[in-house]
Amino acid sequence: MAGSSNILVSNLELVPGRRVKTHLGVVQGSTVRAKHAGKDILAGLKNIVGGELTAYTELMQEAREEAVGRMLAQAASVGANAVLNVRFATTSITAGAAEILAYGTAVVLE
Amino acid sequence: MRLENPRPDETVNYSTEHPLKEFAWLLAGVSAVVAAAVALAGYFAGELAARVPFRVEKEYAAGIARQWEERQLTPEAAHARAALRALAAKLAAAMALPEGMDVTVHYDDAKTVNAMATLGGNVVFYRGLLERLASEDAVATVLAHEIAHAKLRHPASALGRGVAVGVVLSVVSSGMGRSVGGDPVQLAGMLPLLKYNRDQERAADEEALAAVAAVYGHVGGAREVFTVLGKLGGDEAARVGILQTHPLGSERLARVDELARLRGWAREGPVRELPPALAQLKPAKRAE
Amino acid sequence: MQAFFEYFDLLLFVVLLALGYGIGRMNEQRHYRSIRQRERELAGVLAFGIRFPPDPKTPRDCVLVTGSVVVSSDYFKQFVAGLRTLIGGRMAAYESLLDRARREAMLRMKADAVRHGASLILNVKVESTNVGGGMRGGVPAMEVFAYGTALKPPREAPRAA
Repeated sequence: MAGSSNILVSNLELVPGRRVKTHLGVVQGSTVRAKHAGKDILAGLKNIVGGELTAYTELMQEAREEAVGRMLAQAASVGANAVLNVRFATTSITAGAAEILAYGTAVVLE
Repeated sequence: MRLENPRPDETVNYSTEHPLKEFAWLLAGVSAVVAAAVALAGYFAGELAARVPFRVEKEYAAGIARQWEERQLTPEAAHARAALRALAAKLAAAMALPEGMDVTVHYDDAKTVNAMATLGGNVVFYRGLLERLASEDAVATVLAHEIAHAKLRHPASALGRGVAVGVVLSVVSSGMGRSVGGDPVQLAGMLPLLKYNRDQERAADEEALAAVAAVYGHVGGAREVFTVLGKLGGDEAARVGILQTHPLGSERLARVDELARLRGWAREGPVRELPPALAQLKPAKRAE
Repeated sequence: MQAFFEYFDLLLFVVLLALGYGIGRMNEQRHYRSIRQRERELAGVLAFGIRFPPDPKTPRDCVLVTGSVVVSSDYFKQFVAGLRTLIGGRMAAYESLLDRARREAMLRMKADAVRHGASLILNVKVESTNVGGGMRGGVPAMEVFAYGTALKPPREAPRAA
């Protein structure tokens, strides 16, 4: 993913002060993640007293980073230098597993 | 274009009412409604079931009766059953059973300490309970109590009630969904059912005492039975009255004295020895 | 001792309920205090849902900033919610939970923007997902995810203004 580290990511439709030269279509990245049972037991205890489930939060954050990374890899593969109008979709697959989808429009900015 | 960041009113998105206040009235409200629904459903279902003609109930229960009849009994057990049936006939004659109703007594050699009345006028007496009773009067009290259940159609009404209450509680639990705390609400629903049960036990006790007083001239045997049952139940201090299926042993004992006073029965009197067929069931030496 | 065993289920329920109420309420108050304080600190970071920057001609760097949190409700809230599903009406117990989660997610997003050196976030969106698994055996948990595009301050123009 060397080329994707300097791809601009934005959920706006335009970048202030720069013009879009070419639209390269929709790129997406998705991942399904589950966390291991040990963290689930602690979450079960948290269920009684409430509060933030930090293990789940980390899980979702990592999944999201990976999904965005895959989307950028797709963008790099079509030669884009920016992905605009990024959106996310999250689905809970089963207890303790979630699918994250990140998608946007790959463009070449001049 | 000006860009500013004022703080909006945050209290629009959550309630400032104290959570315990909401909890209290929700719990009280739901429990009251569930208990009322159960009480109503149970009452009507019980009344309806008790009005089914006895011969229909007896036919329905014919399978149960046959099962008990066809069990192989040792000669000892067969004698015991005959003695129990003789006693039951004597009692039933004093109890004014409705037209067409008859009671069949069965004997079970198991260690269970119980006697029960089930559908169709069938009564089962277990060895475990027989071993703990010391006089004919005591055995007669238990028999009369079960015959009273049959006479008052309690097995049928209890069945009807149970079904109706089961339906109401399953509707409630499906309404609450997967959430926690279904159990306390179900418990609240069971309270009226348990109360009906206790009322039935009290009614059966009263009929039984009347029969025993008529046949033996006094209720001394009954007092022995409730004392034994009280000891079997364990420490009463730990029991919450409204959660029991039967009235507390101490209450039943007190009721005997109260009824004796009201109806003019003798509280004590000479008790009859157990008939030989029943006495021989006891183990040779029993440490109390 | 006998009483303990007979009424164990009921006693357990009461203990869990008390724990859930006591600790849950304490956590909630603490979290709200923290939220209000950080909202004051991050008041300089502006977040809007508008899609167009105020000065579209000025070149500014954009970066996607996100903030997320997964919260679970406590035993007390779940019990009250269960009773509510029978009667209907406003579920105050969960309203405060989700309010906290949303504000926490927004604050984390703003903190992410500060890390990138930005103080303006546009096109802010908030999503909620149930990640606990609705089926039995899953811990009931809700994820709130806030994201937007942060605009870094414009580079100084080489010529005088």
